[in-house]
Amino acid sequence: MNLRVLALSAALFVVAGLSVPVVRADPASEASVFIETLAEDTVRALTVGEVPRSERISRFRVLFNDHFAVEAMAKWVLGRHWRRADAPERAEYLRLFVDYIVASFVDRFAEYAGEKLHITKAIADDGISATVFSEIRLPGGSKTPARVNWRLDGVVGDFKIVDVVVEGVSMSTTMRSDFGSIIRREGGKLAGLLAVLRKKTETLRTAN
Amino acid sequence: MRFSSTPHREWSLFRALGVLILSLFVTAGCASMPDPTDAEAVAEFEEINDPGEPANRAVFEFNRGLDTVIVKPAAGMYRHIIPPPVREGIHNALNNLRSPVVFFNDILQGEFGRAGTTLMRFVINSTIGVLGLGDPATDFGFEYHNEDFGQTLATWGVDEGPYIMLPIFGPSNPRDAVGLVVDFISDPLNWWATNTDREFITYSRSGTRAVDGRARNYDVLEDLERSSLDFYAAIRSLYRQRRIDEISNGKSSAIMPAPGLSDEPILPGPRRSPDEISISQ
Repeated sequence: MNLRVLALSAALFVVAGLSVPVVRADPASEASVFIETLAEDTVRALTVGEVPRSERISRFRVLFNDHFAVEAMAKWVLGRHWRRADAPERAEYLRLFVDYIVASFVDRFAEYAGEKLHITKAIADDGISATVFSEIRLPGGSKTPARVNWRLDGVVGDFKIVDVVVEGVSMSTTMRSDFGSIIRREGGKLAGLLAVLRKKTETLRTAN
Repeated sequence: MRFSSTPHREWSLFRALGVLILSLFVTAGCASMPDPTDAEAVAEFEEINDPGEPANRAVFEFNRGLDTVIVKPAAGMYRHIIPPPVREGIHNALNNLRSPVVFFNDILQGEFGRAGTTLMRFVINSTIGVLGLGDPATDFGFEYHNEDFGQTLATWGVDEGPYIMLPIFGPSNPRDAVGLVVDFISDPLNWWATNTDREFITYSRSGTRAVDGRARNYDVLEDLERSSLDFYAAIRSLYRQRRIDEISNGKSSAIMPAPGLSDEPILPGPRRSPDEISISQ
């Protein structure tokens, strides 16, 4: 345990008063708790009862905005093109980024949410970033469960997901390649990507 | 080893594929080079490492056509008609038949513990597992893992080289394409089939593997095709990431670049972790 984490936990304890029953100062186990809680919230939001898809989408949007480092992910996926973009372009890109992720992952998360998430281990690096390793037995899958790693940034009490890695395939890295390819095709213009994103998001939202 | 036992017909197939690829690259040309003064664009170009992109995209479209007409409908029907336990049995049997190649590559990689696991699996599943249809070995603690000669070359320090989309076989690179050929000719079942004039065994096994693999990845591919902006680029990224994961035996994600919470966009660069693992890529 390092001093920074200890100090932070102490500060959190003071701020939150007695409403914090246990102060878990170990960032790795805190990270595990964060993912476990999120998994439970997702199950509750997406699978309980017959929730219509439009409602699932809006619930998933709330979860995504609350638990993912949305802006950091969006910037990283865009890479160098973010710096060249002007303010209105950035604003539209951020909005489309959320719309796109929510529409493309809602069905997958709803499907996974019904399965038991088993956390195998968690590692923390200086208390500012952590990786939670988990396994999910996919519906109709084989004996071997799928490895899902959750990469977090931030500090204890304020973790945000920056990447989800399924069987070695990173969501952020794949999007970075995908988006980058469109920008190159559009002659390096962000406007080209925005047009494609707009269209794609609309198709995804109305699907099913 | 009896490399000479590889049937003439297969060699002709490999050669024909080689000629086809070469002519495609000549006719379709190469990916346009970025402005050499733009360091970031150059870095991106090198990271993508797909100099033959126009030709690769042409082959990709050909493969998609093939998939739409033959492989996908076959995989769809297979999923629809054959009940899951039977499909699982077929998958197990295919894995069991691959054991000699996996074992061979375990040894070449110096992974003697894993080679032992592969051997135990082969013995248990071929007997108690009834010709490999069952997988009791997993319950005994001998879990399946895959290896191939492309991975072996990677552990020996061979670079993957540029991305190549092979006709029929799909995403690859020079290293993995060599691996594909070596795995084929080092497979004892293929020697046996050839030496006894039973090539149909080799073909039906390849066909079954294709359908089994496509059926198992049916939903994932469907999902990716639906949600990606550029399916070709998404597949390219997916293939590379999967290979890195396979080469490191599932221990790669700890050193992958990821977005951070700082204000500036994070350039690709490993984030350190306590149990940092070195891999060859």
